[in-house]
Amino acid sequence: MNDTATWPPMRRDAKSAEFFEAASRGELAIKKCTDCGRSLAPEAMVCTDCGGSVPAWTSASGAGTLITWTTVHKAPNPVFAPMVPYTVGVVELAEGPWLYARITGEPRAGAALRAEFVHPAEGESYPTWVVTSGQ
Amino acid sequence: MAATAAIAGLGLTDVGKVYGRSATDFAAEAVRLAAADAGLAITDLDGLLVSPGTKGSPKLSLQKVLGLRDLRLLAEIHALGASPAAMIAAAAQAISSGEATAIACVFADAPLREKGSSREAFGTQRSLPSGFASYHLGIGAITPNLFYAMAARRHFETYGTTSEQLGAIAVGQRGWAAHNPIAQFTKPITLADHQSSPLIADPLHLLDCCLVSNGGAAVIVTSAERARELAQPPVDILGWGQAHPGQIMRQGSNFGLRTGAAVAGPAALRMAGVSVADVDLLELYDSYTFTVLVTLEDYGFCAKGEGGAFVSDGKLGPDGSLPCNTGGGQLSSYYLTGFTPIVEAVVQGRGQAGARQVDKKDVIMVSGSGGVLEHHATLVLSGASA
Ligand SMILES: [Zn+2]
Repeated sequence: MNDTATWPPMRRDAKSAEFFEAASRGELAIKKCTDCGRSLAPEAMVCTDCGGSVPAWTSASGAGTLITWTTVHKAPNPVFAPMVPYTVGVVELAEGPWLYARITGEPRAGAALRAEFVHPAEGESYPTWVVTSGQ
Repeated sequence: MAATAAIAGLGLTDVGKVYGRSATDFAAEAVRLAAADAGLAITDLDGLLVSPGTKGSPKLSLQKVLGLRDLRLLAEIHALGASPAAMIAAAAQAISSGEATAIACVFADAPLREKGSSREAFGTQRSLPSGFASYHLGIGAITPNLFYAMAARRHFETYGTTSEQLGAIAVGQRGWAAHNPIAQFTKPITLADHQSSPLIADPLHLLDCCLVSNGGAAVIVTSAERARELAQPPVDILGWGQAHPGQIMRQGSNFGLRTGAAVAGPAALRMAGVSVADVDLLELYDSYTFTVLVTLEDYGFCAKGEGGAFVSDGKLGPDGSLPCNTGGGQLSSYYLTGFTPIVEAVVQGRGQAGARQVDKKDVIMVSGSGGVLEHHATLVLSGASA
């Protein structure tokens, strides 16, 4: 990945404001079901366990494991031509939810990951995940 | 079981790099072709089911484009790549109940524009999104290629599946395509060609990915009894099933490992009163080679996790024991989502497949899949009386 390349800027909306605001502080915000306590993805609008419809924001540790990934060789859009090859994957947060995420380091199934935060010149701050160890 | 409904007409427009016509234009032509193929007048239709393409057309307004009056069944059915099989199942039910007597089911799409590449056809972002969509765009996690690649990678890591095993699927289908006059790619490929084709999104190579095409397809569904009096050999509709698992993004998810095919397939076979051992011919949705592999496992042709070993001997190809995607599929012939396998099933079921015709076609299992392995529909068809 070319670090000087510009990724498309992220923009907050009402449903994502807390996620991006937390990222600007270096924190990972996810949801938690107010009925059953299940941790949910940041996008969750309902609980997939009990059907509870009022998930609340909460903080996650930023620790996770790598479920799967792909290293992208052909840019999915001309915008990404300067970035290829880059790796995106599915992170299983220590709290249970999965997130699509940009991955740095050598990907391996079950690898331990740690969230780091990017603060681009344009657009919102956001988390990426770094491989910290293999298993 | 004795079928109550059958496919009596098939319409397929020119497909591929065909420019200057809208999805609605293609859809209208496909319905006219299908009615004529069945030996019916367009005015004989009393039902129309429409599945829109990537730009949202054709729509219900196709009725007016075709000048159809006094329909007793009209709806858009949208379940992504599962739509065509879902439409035919809905039509079979409407025939069985007597709600309608001759129903056209149609899908068309026109994503390609002249001088535009396939990638641009689906991948252009004209205005930047906001919210979580901007997060996904901003990390570069867009387009089906990446999500299918992640699904395949999980299968690889869990079960030891390899790229060479996916390659066996691509090689077999290209072997079939050589005998299909309308296939876009007919030059034989080897496993080495598959392995040396460019990596798109690891582990998927270019030769693991489907084409993008313009065109339209339609079938006419009527009663099995009436189909026997019409112009073409009937292809009976024996069974069907759908499954939409609602994959959850959290610990314990089956993403990449198990799909709705594991529910829809057995349900369709049960309705037809047959088992996988009775299946003569497979026409499987092949957005990617991996889609075929995971569907074979989920349908029960081999144990979960053994799909790679199952396909690696070339049994799906022209010289193999389990004919699969005998027209070349979406990998080699043309891409009309769930209609690509259905068209080939009808041609084979009628015994009209020429040099690629299979001997046994009593039980034909057809799949449609949509989203990233999120929506599944199965049909069990029969060309026994054709
Ligand atoms: Zn809950």
